[in-house]
Amino acid sequence: MGSHVSRRQLLAAGAGAGLYAMLPFARAQSKSLVVATFPGTWNEAHRNLLAPYFRKRTGASVTQSIQLATEQIAKLEAAKGGRPPFDVAILDEPQVFDAAKQGLIDEYPAARSPNFKDLFPVYQDKWGPKISLQVIGIGYNPNKIKTPPKSYDDLLNPAYKGRVGLTALNSQLGMAFLAELNRIKGGTETNFDPAFAALRALLPNVGAVAANLGAYATLWQQEQVDIAPYNFNFVQTLKAKGVPVEFVVPDTGLVGWTTSLHLVKNAVEPDLAVQYIDSHLAADMQSEMEKPPYDIIPTNSKVPLAGAITQTVAKTPADLAKIRGFDWTKINPQRTALIERFNREIKL
Amino acid sequence: MASATRDEWPLALPLAALFIVCFVAPFCVLLALSLHADAQARAFSVAQYAKFFGDTFNLSILWSTLWLAIKATLVCLLFGYPIAWVCSRAPARWQSVLVFVVVLPILTSVVVRTFAWIVILGREGVLNHALRALHVIDQPVPLLFTETGVIAVLAQVQMPLMVLPLFATLSRIDRNLGDASAALGAGAWRTFFRITLPLSTPGLVAGCILVFSACATAFVTQTLIGGARLVYMPLHIYQQAIGANNWPFAAAISVVFTIAVMIVIYALNRVGRTGKAYGDAR
Amino acid sequence: MATLASPAANVAAPPPRTQSATWDVRSQRIVFGTLTAIAIVFLIAPTIIVLLTSFTATESLRFPPQGYSLRWYKALLDADQMQAAAWNSLVVAVWTTLACVVLGTAGALGIARSASRFARIADVMFMSPLILPALAFGFAALVYIHLLGFHPSIPLLIVGHVIVCVPFVLRTTIAALAQVDPALFDASASLGAGRALTFRRVTLPLIGRGVGAGAFLAFMASFDNVPVSLFLADERTEVLPIHLWQQIDTNLDVRTAAISGVIIIVTILLMVLAERFAGLSRQLAR
Repeated sequence: MGSHVSRRQLLAAGAGAGLYAMLPFARAQSKSLVVATFPGTWNEAHRNLLAPYFRKRTGASVTQSIQLATEQIAKLEAAKGGRPPFDVAILDEPQVFDAAKQGLIDEYPAARSPNFKDLFPVYQDKWGPKISLQVIGIGYNPNKIKTPPKSYDDLLNPAYKGRVGLTALNSQLGMAFLAELNRIKGGTETNFDPAFAALRALLPNVGAVAANLGAYATLWQQEQVDIAPYNFNFVQTLKAKGVPVEFVVPDTGLVGWTTSLHLVKNAVEPDLAVQYIDSHLAADMQSEMEKPPYDIIPTNSKVPLAGAITQTVAKTPADLAKIRGFDWTKINPQRTALIERFNREIKL
Repeated sequence: MASATRDEWPLALPLAALFIVCFVAPFCVLLALSLHADAQARAFSVAQYAKFFGDTFNLSILWSTLWLAIKATLVCLLFGYPIAWVCSRAPARWQSVLVFVVVLPILTSVVVRTFAWIVILGREGVLNHALRALHVIDQPVPLLFTETGVIAVLAQVQMPLMVLPLFATLSRIDRNLGDASAALGAGAWRTFFRITLPLSTPGLVAGCILVFSACATAFVTQTLIGGARLVYMPLHIYQQAIGANNWPFAAAISVVFTIAVMIVIYALNRVGRTGKAYGDAR
Repeated sequence: MATLASPAANVAAPPPRTQSATWDVRSQRIVFGTLTAIAIVFLIAPTIIVLLTSFTATESLRFPPQGYSLRWYKALLDADQMQAAAWNSLVVAVWTTLACVVLGTAGALGIARSASRFARIADVMFMSPLILPALAFGFAALVYIHLLGFHPSIPLLIVGHVIVCVPFVLRTTIAALAQVDPALFDASASLGAGRALTFRRVTLPLIGRGVGAGAFLAFMASFDNVPVSLFLADERTEVLPIHLWQQIDTNLDVRTAAISGVIIIVTILLMVLAERFAGLSRQLAR
């Protein structure tokens, strides 16, 4: 029994030390900033480019939470009054109105952000700087579809039965596509019936509906879908990974929206948050992000347009300004109803 | 005999206290929350339940969830019973190996297991490639994002919950009964259906209950394999709770879901005519 | 220990008397054997496929992988966030297991040897987390926490995990207790040992393996838990399963396959250890 006891004592000592290290309470660690980011190109660009840049600048690390803009709004709303689950929000144009109205974000302290003034004036928003423009068109698999599609109507081609992809409506891609479809079919921002009629016509062709853009990328990578509405830079990112996909501007033209970063109200690390956002505005950072595989459209006036962007989207900043958008203040109030209607339509 | 053994029930008090504070109370709070008309109004009402039951959309989600879990349980039973049966008759060394094989999936992260199936079920995945190579099909069969795919993955992921109780029960069946049956002239199948199967009912019911419950609430598997078009109760609860921030409604859905699962389990219990619902571990 | 008849002694069926009897036995063996074989493949194939896919040299998740390399395992070394999430999961799992073992063993001792109504009710209550939808409990816990004015944190997550993991310890411990002859406790008492001494010297060694197996299951259940962590772990207290789920749902990165490979290998090692020290397969068979 003697050796038995001493082995037990040793184990106990080791376990005790291990447990001490694991005390879930006070744990001193190096500074960390919790930020939200979008799935797909965005979280990769932020992880691979922005986080190291930020770390070099401040010495702090970044914890990413990948969620859609609608999810961020919901989480911030749920945590209102207390500590927010993340300090930096990334929102699409529609959500910015809601976030400001509901008191979820602070006005952006431009004075503390040296790179802010380098942005084009149209992107210097008081609630948060615009970091990019996202545009949508049609993505297709050139190996499976030999003639490039020309318009969204091509998605209805019976030859593509079961091969069309869609995203759920809580993703901005889904919402923008529906709004664009609505516009093409003669609807207005308050009447979405033409869009849903077109959606119903499209359903037999739909192979899968992805919950978000990242899941969408999976569908493409696994070749579950061959043709779908898609973001420009997401297509580029997939292409760089060797997935067979090409982007085409439909004959009805490109539509887009701006994406911006925001300082969340009651942020735990507001100074780090501002520095993080400011880093994203820096000319050198934006020109890195403009390169493949991210092809993120820059908003800093010092960064010239280059690469795939000039070939497909716009050659000059003036061209960018011409890309059509939507009146989100009219569409936003219907969002919940639209999402619910969409979910019912697509449910198998 | 029993009197000499001191009744030790006070030892269970700490755990009981924890459960009352941290398990029973939250459910009571949930129930209370579900009886609110909306997040702000303090008035009690059954509006949320009316909303739930008044809409065929919600009812179809509830029904498809229960039905999905039943189907997956049947698949588990079909494949799980033979494994348990073989395992109970195997020599001790092989038993350990078989139990290992059965238990390993359930101990590997559910996310990992489900992810493996994405690779297998995809259009260009292992299964489709194999079927095409064997010339069983010409075009890839959609398996991912279909209910069949979800059932298959659920069955694999939850199979150990069926096998282990069955194995325990089958090991305990007196082998002499089988011998006696054979000696009296009954064939192997007759012995199985008349002796073995009825005697294994406690384990069978325990396994079915555990698997049914696990399949009904298997959030990760349902969403990763089912996609956005196949909505089951867990996703519905999550969407309403976290996505739409509609806590009273989400609470109502949770309560309805819990009660529905309890009803099915009660029915299973009655079918098995056993008093205890789980892990007949004694 | 005479309850489990040794299978080896009874493995052969009595000699068949007629031709049809032979066919009967054989057909049963074929049917069950085939179904078992399919089931085993069904059980193991996904694990093996993930393992093999994690060694792919390319960026896509195809099976069979086009080229082999360790690059994705190396990439894990840079995956800071994944490591942080894994550490959180580990911390939570360790504390959960400790609490489960202490509370669960006491609970098992309390209700297994008692015939009182309290014991019966407690038994049902303690086991119900295994049967009631864990997702409903997770959400209920979140609502409860908010009502009390807290927000999600690691200690609260631990409590949530304890509730859903303690049934495992209870089950195996109660089963182990059932194997113990009550006369041993009587003997110990009649020899003058107090309750604490009886527990330490008689009960604990006898049920030790059962507790160990339960602890192992509780640990794995906590590490792998999703439904409770979904609500009680937020962005600042990320745990590994949620992080992985997010990654799979948004990225389908091959690093997910690599971390899966690590989890599989570690699980196998832990299982071998649990088998060696606690006789896991025996404990699960009770």
